[in-house]
Amino acid sequence: MATSAYWRTRLQRYRLVGNKCATCGRVFFPPRLVCSHCGSTKLEECKLPERGKLVEYTVVYSAPKDYDAVVPYVVGIVELENGVRVVAQITDVDVNEVKEGMEVELTIRRLPEQLEGGLICYTYKFRPVIG
Amino acid sequence: MKCWRMREVAIVSVGYTRVSEHWEKSLKGLFVEASLKALEGAGLDIRSIDGIYVANALSGYIQGQTNLANVLADSLGLYDKFAISIDAGGASGALAIHEAYKDVAHGVRDLVLVCGVEKMSEALSQEMMSALMSVQDQERFKYTGITIHSLAALIYKTYLKRYGVRQEDVALMSVVDHEHALTCSHAQYPFRLSVEAIMDSAFLAEPIRVLEVPSPSDGAAAIVMCSHEMAKELGLLHVRVAASVVARDRLDLMEREDLLAMKALVEASQRAYEGANIKPSDLSFAELYDDYSVTGVIALEKLGLCGPGEGVELLKSGEVKLKGSIPVNTFGGLKARGAPLGAIGVYQAAEAFLQLTNSAGPNQVKDARIGLTHTSCGFNSLVVINLLEACC
Repeated sequence: MATSAYWRTRLQRYRLVGNKCATCGRVFFPPRLVCSHCGSTKLEECKLPERGKLVEYTVVYSAPKDYDAVVPYVVGIVELENGVRVVAQITDVDVNEVKEGMEVELTIRRLPEQLEGGLICYTYKFRPVIG
Repeated sequence: MKCWRMREVAIVSVGYTRVSEHWEKSLKGLFVEASLKALEGAGLDIRSIDGIYVANALSGYIQGQTNLANVLADSLGLYDKFAISIDAGGASGALAIHEAYKDVAHGVRDLVLVCGVEKMSEALSQEMMSALMSVQDQERFKYTGITIHSLAALIYKTYLKRYGVRQEDVALMSVVDHEHALTCSHAQYPFRLSVEAIMDSAFLAEPIRVLEVPSPSDGAAAIVMCSHEMAKELGLLHVRVAASVVARDRLDLMEREDLLAMKALVEASQRAYEGANIKPSDLSFAELYDDYSVTGVIALEKLGLCGPGEGVELLKSGEVKLKGSIPVNTFGGLKARGAPLGAIGVYQAAEAFLQLTNSAGPNQVKDARIGLTHTSCGFNSLVVINLLEACC
């Protein structure tokens, strides 16, 4: 992926920014160009809630190149406080202690992959809320 | 909506390679082998066809070969015929058949070759993880660590919980596939597989085990299609395309209201049954797109072969075996015949042709009259249902 393509996704990657349809009110993550429910093209940038609940998860053992050192890791569906569901990595949790229903919050983490020229990649992950 | 009278469409010949890791054969070599076999089967000269559809999912990724149909047409000596590439992940093969069906039905073309070809053994296994994930939206998933198996695992766990079934029972799907592949000469894995062996195999993404998922493979399958009238004039053994339906659902699983709804599969199969004026119980057999054991089980239900949550009961009943009331994956399905991605739908059609012309040898389903092929990509985001019917 070109560095510019990665850069274009910075708001969703670093701040969990999606968008909201001005016509029907649906919220999308990642942001869409056309509303997939009503077809409207009037979509407004919308920061998503940073907390939610883990509704389902899996532990990944077979991963792409560069991920050898990080398996096993958890991927799950997080239902955010506004009801939007996001698939993401779940971090800071032992694979034996992860549970459905867990309260989780947004965090930004480094990925094992690197972009051309050694640029470091980050993405959103969710971690258990402590306390 | 039919605007004018459409022609009946027939499949008159099939050809295929064994599904395997063909170290000595190239993408081109596999394509030419299957295509020539299909043409020879009908006694047709290469120059007699109007052109080709080439179905492939990953050549741009693995071989760095784009513009595939154009390249492959030349390799077959077809320098002045139409050549169109169809790229729709795992659904490519069946979608190419759908396109050829429309061409012939509408009288645009008379004699068309459809070949699905895939060569996955040239990718390293970790590259394959990324290649399989490349059918999903890359802007969304690249650089996230989310794998195709992890998405499938979320569907799998949701299924197990909703219907309170055991993984050992879902895995029977793969066991049946392997049993049917035992006598299939073109199968990648013609050996028996037990539930115990599956449950002992490593996790890809929990709960999915290595042995309930197809492995990368190489293969090509080809069919020749023409009008029913032409098939009769040429005196060729043939089967009729009774329906060919495409339906779509959202690719993004998180935008679907229910991970298990598989709306496009339900819609495509219902429209196909209506188009052919049949019920699911009229099917002689079905070839399912079981890219995971659980997606095969879900397909049994969504195709109307059993009720919601009853897929494992149907598997346990044995009715899906070759001698049962509704045999599925009669040559081993994706798991055991093998799943060369873009070629899958053409293999399914070729196998249905064998069944419906009473040429399936030890895998023959008794009195096969009408068969269904289910091909999809992106967890039934793009679904093609083809119904094929015997003509004798």
